[in-house]
Amino acid sequence: MNDRKKALLLWHLTRGYRMVFSMAIVAMAIGYLFMFGVPLVVKFAIDAIELGDSYTAPDWLEALGALISLGPDPGMMEYLIVAALASVILTAIAGVFLYCRGRWTAIASEGIVRRLRERIYSHLEHLASNYHDKADTGDLLQRCSSDMETVRVFLAGQIIEICRAILMLLVVLPILFSLDVRMALLSLASMPVLLLFAVVFFRRVKDLFLIVDESEARMTTVLQENLTGIRVVRAFARQDFEIEKFATKNADFRNHNQRLIGLLGMYYGASDLICLGQIGALLVVGAIWAIDGSLSIGTLFAFLTYEGMIIWPIRHMGRVLTDSGKAIVSMGRIAEVLAEPIESQNEYDPGTRLEGRIEVSNLHFEFEPGRPVLNDVSFTIEPGQTLALLGPPGSGKSTIAQLLMRLYDYERGSIKLDGHELSGLSRKYVRSQISIVLQEAFLYSATILGNLKVGRIDATPDEVLKATRDACIHESIEGFPRGYESMVGERGVTLSGGQRQRIALARALLKRPPILILDDALSAVDTDTESQILAALSANREQQTTIIVAHRLSTVMHADKILVLHEGQVVQEGDHQELSGREGIYRNLCELQGAIQDQIEADITGSKLATPSW
Amino acid sequence: MSDFFDDENYNDGFDEDSYQRGMNLDLWKRLLGYTLRYRFEVSMLALCAVATAIAEIAFPLITRAVIDAIATQGADIDLWFYGSLYFGFVVLLAASVASFIWFGGKIRTHVSHDIRRDGFKNLQHLSFSFYDFRPVGWLMARMTSDIERLSNILAWGLLDLIWGSTMMVGIAIAMLIMDVSMALVVLSVIPFLAWVSIYFQRRILKSAREVRKTNSKITGSFNESIMGVRTTKAFVKEAENLSNFGGLTDTMYGASVLNKIQAALYLPLVLILGSIAGGLALIFGGLEVIWGTITAGTLIAFLAYARHFFEPIQELANWFAEMQMAQASAERIISLIESEPDIKDSPEVERRIAAMHADRQPLDDGTAVAIDGYPDKIERIEFEHVGFQYNVGPKVLDDINLTIEQGQNIAIVGSTGGGKTSLVSLLCRFYEPTEGKILIDGVDYRQRSLNWLQSSLGIVLQSSHVFGGTITDNIRYGKLSATDEDVVNAAKRAGAHDLIVAMEHGYDTEVGEGGSKLSAGQKQLISFARAILADPMILVMDEATSSVDTVTEQRIQLGLAELLKGRISVVIAHRLSTIRNADRIVVIEHGRITEAGSHEELMQTPGRYHKLYTQQSLSRFSREERAWVSV
Repeated sequence: MNDRKKALLLWHLTRGYRMVFSMAIVAMAIGYLFMFGVPLVVKFAIDAIELGDSYTAPDWLEALGALISLGPDPGMMEYLIVAALASVILTAIAGVFLYCRGRWTAIASEGIVRRLRERIYSHLEHLASNYHDKADTGDLLQRCSSDMETVRVFLAGQIIEICRAILMLLVVLPILFSLDVRMALLSLASMPVLLLFAVVFFRRVKDLFLIVDESEARMTTVLQENLTGIRVVRAFARQDFEIEKFATKNADFRNHNQRLIGLLGMYYGASDLICLGQIGALLVVGAIWAIDGSLSIGTLFAFLTYEGMIIWPIRHMGRVLTDSGKAIVSMGRIAEVLAEPIESQNEYDPGTRLEGRIEVSNLHFEFEPGRPVLNDVSFTIEPGQTLALLGPPGSGKSTIAQLLMRLYDYERGSIKLDGHELSGLSRKYVRSQISIVLQEAFLYSATILGNLKVGRIDATPDEVLKATRDACIHESIEGFPRGYESMVGERGVTLSGGQRQRIALARALLKRPPILILDDALSAVDTDTESQILAALSANREQQTTIIVAHRLSTVMHADKILVLHEGQVVQEGDHQELSGREGIYRNLCELQGAIQDQIEADITGSKLATPSW
Repeated sequence: MSDFFDDENYNDGFDEDSYQRGMNLDLWKRLLGYTLRYRFEVSMLALCAVATAIAEIAFPLITRAVIDAIATQGADIDLWFYGSLYFGFVVLLAASVASFIWFGGKIRTHVSHDIRRDGFKNLQHLSFSFYDFRPVGWLMARMTSDIERLSNILAWGLLDLIWGSTMMVGIAIAMLIMDVSMALVVLSVIPFLAWVSIYFQRRILKSAREVRKTNSKITGSFNESIMGVRTTKAFVKEAENLSNFGGLTDTMYGASVLNKIQAALYLPLVLILGSIAGGLALIFGGLEVIWGTITAGTLIAFLAYARHFFEPIQELANWFAEMQMAQASAERIISLIESEPDIKDSPEVERRIAAMHADRQPLDDGTAVAIDGYPDKIERIEFEHVGFQYNVGPKVLDDINLTIEQGQNIAIVGSTGGGKTSLVSLLCRFYEPTEGKILIDGVDYRQRSLNWLQSSLGIVLQSSHVFGGTITDNIRYGKLSATDEDVVNAAKRAGAHDLIVAMEHGYDTEVGEGGSKLSAGQKQLISFARAILADPMILVMDEATSSVDTVTEQRIQLGLAELLKGRISVVIAHRLSTIRNADRIVVIEHGRITEAGSHEELMQTPGRYHKLYTQQSLSRFSREERAWVSV
């Protein structure tokens, strides 16, 4: 993706705000025009005072003065009041325009950023799964947060700062040159030096900024690891070791940061020297010209005031320009995400509830070319049946589930839901018809009830209760201090892996889908509870087709059909009865299970039910 | 995600609004102690701040002198003198600006370093009950953003206080000396400015916090959308999530625009007030110039001062508002640094430890002496009528009686929430019994050194925590003085060696933050090796249930057997093999021991254990997975 395209993408985002933004800039220009009038008023006042009685006011001023003094012969007093009022009024008008600038800039920049945020959020939700597989979460998050912040500061601040500096110069230069050409040239003498110095300086310290950030990150990491692992620290009584370890990182951060601040101090000292030197030169040279009469005191005053107004923003410019460079990089990083293709949308949506018949034939799938994950898989499930997928890790069980959800797109073979080819059905429709529970159950940081209602927003309390009872999680939830209203996550109750899985299951059950997929979804649930859950599921079996992915035999035994997968291929197919009677992997499993069974029976027969003895 | 817990974003009982009025000076005095430790730097900072203020006050005076000299002396004016004087002050100003930033930077970074160091130190010793109610993210926010914020106040705020007050006093004096009545006229605007500044700064800061708070929520929301993208897709929640997110961005828009509008109002108001002061100076000064009571130079100096006076007031108002806002941070930091651990050595134990000589002689029978004067061995642990409850909760353990002899291996079984974890936490003295007592070789363990006990423990937790660094670093955590050879031996005994050497960098493999580059099983094996290297007298373990691949599972079984060999061990057991091989099995239900005995003994009674076992509940664990090896 080239830079032009990125720029274009961002340009589109400013649509609707360009007018407000331009208005802000115009308001700023007008504001400064009035503001720069004030020193002029004061200049004329001072010149008039210097002349004293020999001053003759122009007619309009005399008329104004007469108005104020309510008499025909206004004196210096009235003229001064006019000057003072004029400067207050000019400032007030400038103030109104500057307020408008602030308001409009805020509306435009925050509006653009809001749109950008919503755009990238929605884009993230619609990106294809294989993008998320490869993406580095931390990096992606950084693009959405800190890069976004850099862009925001650029739009709200830096771009305005740059415009401000340019406008100030544009407004002030004609005034300066019309007052006195020599002084005007002199007052601009140091600007290029100042700008160059600032830009060069911030280029040079860029690396140090990075070093400081990194050392802070290292310090934070040690802190975070210590706090999360505090139990291990205590378990080995390693407090002193940890304190020592933290001390080095803490001191590193301090030293780098101190160096950076020290360098910034040098910069500010040196640039103060340039700025004040410039003002000093203006004062001394201006004085020489004032002595020979070629410059009035009032004009000297005006120059000194103007110089003070424009030189500090120019000094600031070095930093602004460096930061703007960063903003452009950040925009590019955001644009990169936005340029990633999203999942295809808008396929056929039958709009009716599926019955739940699944036919898979000759399905092939690979994430990377040449490394098939599924190889010629075929099977059929009738509505209401339970299918179990059994196999070691990496055998392709979960991939089948994910293909059914249309999280990935298959290219060879066919999957049909109720006779519709899956790839022709809208993703949203397919997903609304299937509930999946994953091994790594993800819960939103909301209340438990809020999480359950993700399954169905308008579920009644009774339906919620039924789902949580079926998933054997109701009692645990009731046990939390705030019950169903407890927050999930670090700020609320801490859930065990098994509890998370069961809440996710209840959520999926609440959806009441025609097809339910459990992708190793009960791995962290103890077996006692697991059998209760499986019993509850089989009581509801008429309502849905169920696919269970597992690698425990006990989980899959009671399925209508069991597929044993190995390296992407179906190696055995049938129900428990058939498969346990046949030579193969499944029988091996059963034999092991049988051995354990024998052991238990031996234990039971050996027990004599005596009185407790402990 | 430490900013998730930033400031008022997390409701931890500190009421921000109650700090709005009035300031707790005592709190700031205690924190200021951190700054005042750097006496030299603080004096230099003050000196530079005063020098800066003086230079800034001097410039209008020089301008005034030059202008007056032009009027009176004309061509005879000694411009060289004024020029050098001016540049002398320029150099002074530049030098003091550079140095106060240098000294301020030193104080700023050192103060935050010192507060953080003290906070960290205390965190290492606070009891677990402290951690129970404070999530890691919360603590992180205190230790990072709160501390940065406070040290800004303690360095730059102090600087501005000194500079600002010198500046204001200096300007006021200069104006009063030049012309009393004009000075009073200009100064009359000051109260309005101070009031406007404080009024706005407070609101601006408040809305700025609202912005930050919303911003961290937005980041959280992004995080959730990335982490939960599959769940979102599976439940077709894209539109709903987006509309929720839209609510957040609306709040963000509202808060940021409000913040900027407040600033956009404040600035013109200050400018107008300034121009009123300037206008007044112009009228009165102008008249005085005409009357001849002051010179034109004085008038120009007054106009300059009227402008300069405003900066320190704005700065001070800003710091004042910031201090009010940061009061809650200050309180939390102080409480973090000054919290006393609930569990620590009693004064008597401390006395005994202090009285012990560094070169302790072993007892007559050859047993080494521990730092607290008792023998450095553990032969028997007894729980006598132990009951326990967390702070204000229901009783989680009740009337526990249990004796563990040297070399015994105890398996604790029972349903979740029955009190298994609490029992081992008491054993480790992470908490102390609220009823009854725990004896080590006949002595109440509260009479023993906490550090000694915890150094004698080895603990392997269900979710094995490893630290960033290499595998060697992590294993060596068990015994810091261990040689590389010791580390390798421990790994071999834990059954982790083959797995480690198979990795690209072997023992030097970086495990990533929190061990992110390792699987759960690998982390577990490394934590076994760590515990074996530590060679503790007591081993406490919470066995993991997570399903791992078959090869690792077998290794874990073997490593575990090695780990338990020949020491007191208490295991919260899930695996059948662990339970069956234990010397004694303790069943805990609802905080009480309901059964105890060996596997064979327990199988003879129709109790809970019998039921669990016959229902195969226990037997199902992980055995099936081995089938894949034999395939």
